[in-house]
Amino acid sequence: MAHAIDVKMMEKIKKHGAGGELDVSACFNCGNCTAVCPLAEDSAGFPRRIMRMAQLGMEKELLAQEDLWRCYACGECTKTCPREADPMQFMAAARSYAISRYDPTGLSGLMYRSPVFNIFVFLVLSGFFSVLLLWHQGQRGMASNGGMFSGYGSTQLFRFIPGEWVHSIGIALFIVVGLALAFGFFSMTARVMGKKNQAGERRPFPISALIPSVYSAVMDALNHSRFRQCGEDEAPDAKPLLQRSWFVHGAIMWGFLAMLLATTLDYLFKPIGSPVPPWYPMRIMGLVGGLVCLYGLSIAIGRRISAKETPYEKSSFGDWFFLLLLTATVLTGLATLIVVYMPHPTTFGYVTFMSHIVLAMDLIVLLPLTKFAHVVYRTLALVLHEWAKAPASEPAVAVATHQ
Amino acid sequence: MTTSANGNNTYRPDAIIVGAGIAGMQSALDLADQGLQVLLVEKDSSIGGHMISLAKVYPTLDCASCITAPKMSASAHHDNIRIMVNTEVRGIRSVRGSHFVKLFKKATYVNFDKCIGCRLCEYACDSEYPDPFEMGLGAKRAIAVPFTNAIPQKAVLDPEICTTCGSCARVCPTDAIEFDQQSEEVEIETDAVVVASGFALNSLGVKSQYHALQNKNIMTALTMERLLAPHGPYGRVLRPSDGKIPSSVAFVLCAGSRDASIGVPYCSRVCCMYAIKQAMLLSGALPIADITIFYMDIRAFGKGYEQFYQNAKAMGINFVRGKVARIDPLEDGDLSLHVESTEEPENILQEHRHDLVVLAQGMVPEWNPSISTPVAVASDGFVATPLLTAPTSTTANGIFVAGVASGPKDIVDTIAEAGAAAMQVSQYLYQKRAAVTPEYAQGPVLVG
Repeated sequence: MAHAIDVKMMEKIKKHGAGGELDVSACFNCGNCTAVCPLAEDSAGFPRRIMRMAQLGMEKELLAQEDLWRCYACGECTKTCPREADPMQFMAAARSYAISRYDPTGLSGLMYRSPVFNIFVFLVLSGFFSVLLLWHQGQRGMASNGGMFSGYGSTQLFRFIPGEWVHSIGIALFIVVGLALAFGFFSMTARVMGKKNQAGERRPFPISALIPSVYSAVMDALNHSRFRQCGEDEAPDAKPLLQRSWFVHGAIMWGFLAMLLATTLDYLFKPIGSPVPPWYPMRIMGLVGGLVCLYGLSIAIGRRISAKETPYEKSSFGDWFFLLLLTATVLTGLATLIVVYMPHPTTFGYVTFMSHIVLAMDLIVLLPLTKFAHVVYRTLALVLHEWAKAPASEPAVAVATHQ
Repeated sequence: MTTSANGNNTYRPDAIIVGAGIAGMQSALDLADQGLQVLLVEKDSSIGGHMISLAKVYPTLDCASCITAPKMSASAHHDNIRIMVNTEVRGIRSVRGSHFVKLFKKATYVNFDKCIGCRLCEYACDSEYPDPFEMGLGAKRAIAVPFTNAIPQKAVLDPEICTTCGSCARVCPTDAIEFDQQSEEVEIETDAVVVASGFALNSLGVKSQYHALQNKNIMTALTMERLLAPHGPYGRVLRPSDGKIPSSVAFVLCAGSRDASIGVPYCSRVCCMYAIKQAMLLSGALPIADITIFYMDIRAFGKGYEQFYQNAKAMGINFVRGKVARIDPLEDGDLSLHVESTEEPENILQEHRHDLVVLAQGMVPEWNPSISTPVAVASDGFVATPLLTAPTSTTANGIFVAGVASGPKDIVDTIAEAGAAAMQVSQYLYQKRAAVTPEYAQGPVLVG
């Protein structure tokens, strides 16, 4: 089989690593990382095999590895690597590289490699959304109305920025982002499904096994069952449950999902701007979700700041950007929840509300380009992996026996 | 045999050799045969170093003690060599071309001038402890001759174990036992020094994933040498935990070297070959046992080594390419080794079950001379040898290095280097003395 070799592959992946210290060439392929990995399965050969692909410039093969996304960065490989080649960070850098390659615009790669560009994009987007949201203010004629922050009834934020306007922009964003993600989704699916094994055969992917695979992958994503196999639960010096990495990640994810669900349900069933008491179910769901998410985020950020444990030792700009953007969104969201119940309208209240909407829009629009994209690719990888493992469908066997 | 504290005014050797292993003995013999006076200093109770404890040597499978013992005895009986055992070098002061070597003579509680090596004391002693020469597998008495073929054949008393019951003193025919003996420090002046301080193995605990310290059936290769030696602790190969005859033995190469995560990034150079040698010897000792060598790459670089490796493969010894990542203990004392076999067509994660595991621990320097002497060490901790064209020179003028003290190497290379160091010493002495006394250069060269 002919291979297209990308001779600059190692350099490219290095640029996606934290601090530019990643040295893929240091690896001498002893296999320690694979053998020490609590998640490696028979014949997987990761991380070593994927690292070898990077060394050899086998880009096509590397981008077809769903195994990239089946690593949860416990750090065992990095702790014991004889060459200090940092396989864990390599896997993270390769994932980020893959996101940039699945993205057809090339923007993602630029954002990962250049913090300056990343911040520039963030500022431009935020400015753009702010102007867009305040468009109605201009039309209303601020001066004649006694200024931006006067003339509203108590807590009627949606008169400051009309709810319909926010929803229209939001829906437009979801469509754009959905299209961008669809590109990445199909790009990865085609690569992974087209992957051939050593014998030159494709894996079966029987159609009958699709639904069960999706179900088991989504369940896995929701309950972190695979993340939990990373050895934290069995470790002799196991941390309390609430501090284990998988739980911290889970808290961020479950909290985020709760907030997303509350927002969606409100959008579907609650008239815009209608006042509700604090114990309104969606409000409580949003509040609890926000607090749970914030708990996870604070631990994740704290560990990255102290940088004592291997998995949190080296953080790339992309890691920081996503974490901080999400934190800012959650914080402004929680603040907005409080503002809604303040007796008098304040400048702080309006600014908080608008910041939250702008940040949430940044988060959504940057989803395909940032670390956030892992929610799609990791889940997709789990589905494809489960699917490929499923035994070939019944009819094929039947045909074979009839012959 | 040894000098006394008072004797050092009159005794001024031409060279002092630090360490009486194979490197030190070879250097001493090569210098002494040129008529130079040599003092050979050894911290242990016997000369011979690690080599006297080995079973056989590769790639010839010659008996190790049959090579070492004659060198030991030649050193001990040479007119121009004095030996000081139980003596540590505490420092070297270099003043105007002379080296003042500070020696710490540890108390042995036995007067070596009187002791005749009859071992009656050893037979009378009641206190026993794990024999360090047998790597802890056999037992040793508190007062004992270090081992069967030790030189000198003098009893040494270990004050940590001794109960001072006095049985030894009562049976000693020459009244050699001196419970009141004191350690002493002496300083001896000389013109040249050879550092031949050799190596130690890094701890079995350096890689915690191997759980080696908690498990008797995981051993270093030096312990396996003792099991394989004809006069070893059990007289045959048995596994230490329960005395079972091993049926499946694993060698884990690079267990303590080529691993930056444990601080030894360099290759220890000898492990590939001794593992192959031990595997061959084990196939003889345990004909039905399965023997597997886990390796990252076999470094068979010396003369006849590659053929030796090919012979081992032809004998049916299994070779698995991959670094063992984890060793888990099983209930019955067996061990489970986790490895990715990186040579298989479908890179397969494997779990191998063995009842005895030998870890190739890394060679680290036995002694750090940079603390108390002018000799500098390199970043790996071994003596620095800055001159590529004079590999036995150190950073200090008149101080030379031989053998593993300057970096891991096998016995063949060590002997060659020891000879080279001796040659450099004699050349150095010749030039130094000819400069002071021109007629020295005329006469017969260096007749003592």
